[in-house]
Amino acid sequence: MNIFLHELKSCFKSIIIWACSMAALAVMYILIFKGLGNDIAEFQSLMDSLPEVVKKLLSVYVASLSTLEGFYSFVFVYVALCGAIQAMNLGVSIISKEVREKTADFLLTKPVSRAAIMTSKIAAAFVSLVITNIIYLAVTLLATLTVKTDFSVKSVILISITLLFIQLIFMALGVIVAVLAGKVRSVIAVSLSTVFGFFIVNMFGSIIGEETVRYITPFKYFDYGYIVKNNAYEMPYIIVGAAFVIAAVTASYLVYTRKDVHAV
Amino acid sequence: MNVIEINNLTKTYGKSRGIIDVSFNVEEGEVFGFIGPNGAGKSTTIRTLLSLIYPTAGSAKIFGADCIKNAPEIAKEVGYLPSEVFYYDKMKVIDVLKYSASFYKKDCSKRIEDLAEIMDLDLKKRVDDLSFGNKKKVGIVQALLHEPRLIILDEPTSGLDPLMQQKFFDLLEEENKKGATIFMSSHVLSEVQRMCTRVAIIKEGRIIKLETMSNLTENNYKKFKLEINSGIDKNHFQINGVSNLELKGNIISFLYKGNVNTILKRITEIDLKNVWIEEPSLEEIFMHYYEKEA
Repeated sequence: MNIFLHELKSCFKSIIIWACSMAALAVMYILIFKGLGNDIAEFQSLMDSLPEVVKKLLSVYVASLSTLEGFYSFVFVYVALCGAIQAMNLGVSIISKEVREKTADFLLTKPVSRAAIMTSKIAAAFVSLVITNIIYLAVTLLATLTVKTDFSVKSVILISITLLFIQLIFMALGVIVAVLAGKVRSVIAVSLSTVFGFFIVNMFGSIIGEETVRYITPFKYFDYGYIVKNNAYEMPYIIVGAAFVIAAVTASYLVYTRKDVHAV
Repeated sequence: MNVIEINNLTKTYGKSRGIIDVSFNVEEGEVFGFIGPNGAGKSTTIRTLLSLIYPTAGSAKIFGADCIKNAPEIAKEVGYLPSEVFYYDKMKVIDVLKYSASFYKKDCSKRIEDLAEIMDLDLKKRVDDLSFGNKKKVGIVQALLHEPRLIILDEPTSGLDPLMQQKFFDLLEEENKKGATIFMSSHVLSEVQRMCTRVAIIKEGRIIKLETMSNLTENNYKKFKLEINSGIDKNHFQINGVSNLELKGNIISFLYKGNVNTILKRITEIDLKNVWIEEPSLEEIFMHYYEKEA
């Protein structure tokens, strides 16, 4: 419990900053939607007139941008991108911290097993992400209250919650990367390059329209057009995501408990 | 009772050597010195004992329990001071120590204050504002705050000024009197000589000597220095038991281990101006161990 609290405390500031930035992004778009008001139809026709490739590149899945949930799903991709960076950053940094700050000799000689250290750290990262999502969701929903037109609250919530799923996947990826890497010199370099890598695959996947690409990048696990239309997630992708998280975390435990911790 | 039992411990890193077939015991209440030059395997042995690294072969026991399998249990009674200390930079010293104390199920706040006062450590400073020596002090307090039964020190005095070294050794002596076993590695021989009752000497990953300090310094070796009147063949003293033989001008010096009568007979055969027979410092014995096969 003490490790958990210690870790949570040390990343608390960054949780607040990330959560508020992402919420601000969402709020900004919601306000733009509100500002567009009746002109939204024109905006929709503008988007419709774009070439097919550009539309796919911008992830305009949704037939109707004129509803709030449609518009929100269009901009949410960028919130998810930020969220993925935050989560991967968190996963890499929380695990590689002992090596980066050279405190392994301190923590790992305490009367606590490595598995327990891992559990505390992953739990702290998980709770951090949950807090992030609570803040994000609360602020975003609050902002939608200002919008007068009718929209599906359920869709907005369902879309928003995919942030947590995507973050969990990237956190798990960050954890396993940190465990496998001998020494992570720059956390942000690792997480930015990985996340953007997946994001680019996501964009090109959209252009190609290849179904298999959807399994490769977590950004594609959630088709927002589908969510808006059906008010539901696509189960196969949830299962793939969950399976990846479980596999990555399990592997991290196995490696971490057997790893030699060298002097600095 | 043996506090530490090391049996044929081997650790290799890929093809490179770590330690090979290391075996020795440390008894309860002992102050045990572990000496050897840099890269000989001192830290490798210590890190294995602390289950920071895992042995390739062999095993080690602390308090009779396997040091890898029962690591968390053992750690409750072990205090460890690494050779280079690092703590969470952004934390205050007191918070680091409290965090450290929170792993042991006892109240250590009084002890932290006492130790900080003895070591003259400012608890309110942030870790990244501390000098190397002051970080070391944090390490010392951190290693002793839970009153461990076994204290493991890796190069303990590096970075401490002589006054602090003195205070630290007094502190260790006190802990030892209270029953704590101390296991320390070092290449600063004077501190080993001063503190330890027994030593193991490690060279290139192997234990080459295991001896009580008194045997090592008093019984076995004598340091001879002779000032001679006339020239002499250096080979005159090339007999069994003589080492570190040196001839500088008309001064000849060497270490001798063996029957003193034999060597004295040799000495009487030559024309002497002056003679010194002394106990060698550990340093001299130690160098001798290293140079023998070099």
